[in-house]
Amino acid sequence: MAANLKTYYEELGRAFHSKPCNVTKCVALLPKLKLGLIEAGLLLPQGDVNLGDLVVARDILEIGAFASIRNRDVPSFDRYFSQLQTFYTDYSESLPPSKREYPIRGLNLIRLLTQNRIAEFHTTLECLDADVIAENPFIKHPVNLERWLMEGSYSKVWNAREEAPAEEYKFFVDSLMGTIRNEIASCEEAAYDSLPLKEAATLLFFTNKSELLTFAQKRGWQVDLTENTITFKRKGEEKMEIPKQRLIAASLAYARELEQIV
Amino acid sequence: MPDVEMKPTDPKATDAKPAEDTKAEPLSPLAEIKNNAALIDRAVSTLEPRFTHRVLRTLTSLRKRIDDSILRNAIDEIYAKDDSVHKTLIKWLPGTSSTSTEAQEMDVDSLSKPPQASLAPEAEMYLRLLILQHLLASEETHERALELANETAEKMQTLNRRSMDAIAAKIWLAVDRAYDLAGELSDARPIFLAAQRTASLRHDDEAQAALINCLLRSYINYNLYDQADKLISKTTFPSSASNAQFARYHYYLGRIRAVQLNYTEAHTNLQQAIRRAPPAKTAPGFYQAVHKYFVVVELLMGDIPDRSLFRHVVLEKALNAYFEIVKAVRTGSLAQFQATLSKHAAQFEEDNTYTLIIRLRQNVIKTGIRRLSLSYSRISLRDICVKLHLDSEEDAEYIVGKAIRDGVIEGRIVHDKGWMESGVQKNGYGPEVSEVFGRRIAFCLDLHNQSVKAMRYPLNAHRKELAAAEGAREREKELAKEIQDGDLDDDDLGGDF
Repeated sequence: MAANLKTYYEELGRAFHSKPCNVTKCVALLPKLKLGLIEAGLLLPQGDVNLGDLVVARDILEIGAFASIRNRDVPSFDRYFSQLQTFYTDYSESLPPSKREYPIRGLNLIRLLTQNRIAEFHTTLECLDADVIAENPFIKHPVNLERWLMEGSYSKVWNAREEAPAEEYKFFVDSLMGTIRNEIASCEEAAYDSLPLKEAATLLFFTNKSELLTFAQKRGWQVDLTENTITFKRKGEEKMEIPKQRLIAASLAYARELEQIV
Repeated sequence: MPDVEMKPTDPKATDAKPAEDTKAEPLSPLAEIKNNAALIDRAVSTLEPRFTHRVLRTLTSLRKRIDDSILRNAIDEIYAKDDSVHKTLIKWLPGTSSTSTEAQEMDVDSLSKPPQASLAPEAEMYLRLLILQHLLASEETHERALELANETAEKMQTLNRRSMDAIAAKIWLAVDRAYDLAGELSDARPIFLAAQRTASLRHDDEAQAALINCLLRSYINYNLYDQADKLISKTTFPSSASNAQFARYHYYLGRIRAVQLNYTEAHTNLQQAIRRAPPAKTAPGFYQAVHKYFVVVELLMGDIPDRSLFRHVVLEKALNAYFEIVKAVRTGSLAQFQATLSKHAAQFEEDNTYTLIIRLRQNVIKTGIRRLSLSYSRISLRDICVKLHLDSEEDAEYIVGKAIRDGVIEGRIVHDKGWMESGVQKNGYGPEVSEVFGRRIAFCLDLHNQSVKAMRYPLNAHRKELAAAEGAREREKELAKEIQDGDLDDDDLGGDF
């Protein structure tokens, strides 16, 4: 491994582990390190590579993933995670397991959840063992969140937001809450005629009225300030219409096919 | 990973089948192999793949009847002893001690007519396939099978003959099986990927279909659904593939779509797999595996599978655990669902359906709510909470709200009174009915058109008719000429009178 790569790596380690973590310095150092990794053929390792070097490469990428979360740069986290996949799946037998593997996998799951990419969430989940899903706190957390979200137990999601197993999980809490609020709001539109303001605020987990009012405005709800209620527009009953065009086209198609048979 | 090899796992079916075959075809295995080799040779020389397919159809029944000595004799009779092919083939057979071969060679020499001059390499590949399958059958020879598989695959690719495609597809399956039994399925992936690329470049549809399925199987075995999905999006499954390959492909596709929550597509694919699969009695293993997924996907879609499905002879025992899950979902009881889940957890994990079944939890709740909304016109949230074993009233309110939004029930929540009012249920007659009807008609018409297209006519059969017509025309011409020439004079006519 090149000497300058090593010095950068040590510098990165110091910056990342210093308290508080020096994120700006990490982010500045990472591109240089990645260039070094590419030159050493370690970013996407192929064939036989020194195991020690691989561990270092994995370490750098993991720090990169955490740093991008702390820097609130989700696309960058996405890139780091894809690069880490090689280390986690293809080299899982030869490399010593990493302490950070499951937190990062969990973070990736939460990211998919907040972006509402449920299909990918489940595909990713299938790669993990059933034991890990049931036992590992880093994985269990997003799995439970997903289950509650699908079920509709939004209050459980809300209560679980402070129980994040790692510091970084909290970075996703805000966007997750945004997702739930939108979900709840769409449920309310369908399920209620009108709601008192105060109740709406509790249902949507808002603590003050002004937040609720801006939210209501965004969704186009009618707010009656004198009576302190929100009225939801009922969607007009869908008119039953006979799809003439389609029926005619279908009948003609049948006639043509029948003619071919006979 | 359930065994999706399309081979009988039911001992009764296995016993019954060869018996029938022997009755219809009283050939000894040895004679049959010889016959087949000749047929393959004919297929190659006449460019008629039909014969090869006929040979391959007998493969399953033949596989169970061969043993070392039959194979050895077959090789001896088909190839001359000093032929290089003879040597390479015979060395794969276990227990080739010099004395026994000597004795057999003597026998063979005296009995058989001199072997044919030289057979097409396809025949050699066929014999290799037979040896490979034979080696795979017993546990001690798995390692040798893997060696042979590798060598055969290499040889097959250097030969590059289009007339070999059908046999090649079968060999790939055997190679896959060899790696699987050796527990090195992931190591075979680069070989398969390379072979798949070559096959698709050479428009070798049969091998391509087999290879895509091998790859999918390998990915799914290691739970790499993402890669499997990418493979599917990057390749097109050849439409001329055999039904068995199609059944496999649809099965894998159904599993991938189910994991991705695309239940509608998963359902269609699994249904296709069931329809295309060989009859339940011939391949019960596959039939059961597909049905397990089919039941779960149907539940996830919110449907309840047919009761008769669980009474099917082949399925009854295998689907027992799934039947209990269905019962729990149908009654909408979370407690019963949890109990069944923990009781059969081991089986579900073995079938790889555990994660899918966990997803059913929300369906159980939905069914529960639907039942409540059907039986009560007004029910308090507190009662819903008690009846469905939910944790809190607050949760119940959100869950009911979500059910209304998702269209599971019709109704609304009256928040200040704390109850749910059920609305009028939709009636089942609307434009959807004609839509469903239309879809079915389209399916039948398509089936008809496809079968018309699939009809085969013998090559050059019309030549004979043409020749006959030509002859008739010729005669007519002659007759006309004779009349014109006045050959038919009055004398002749007079004579006739």
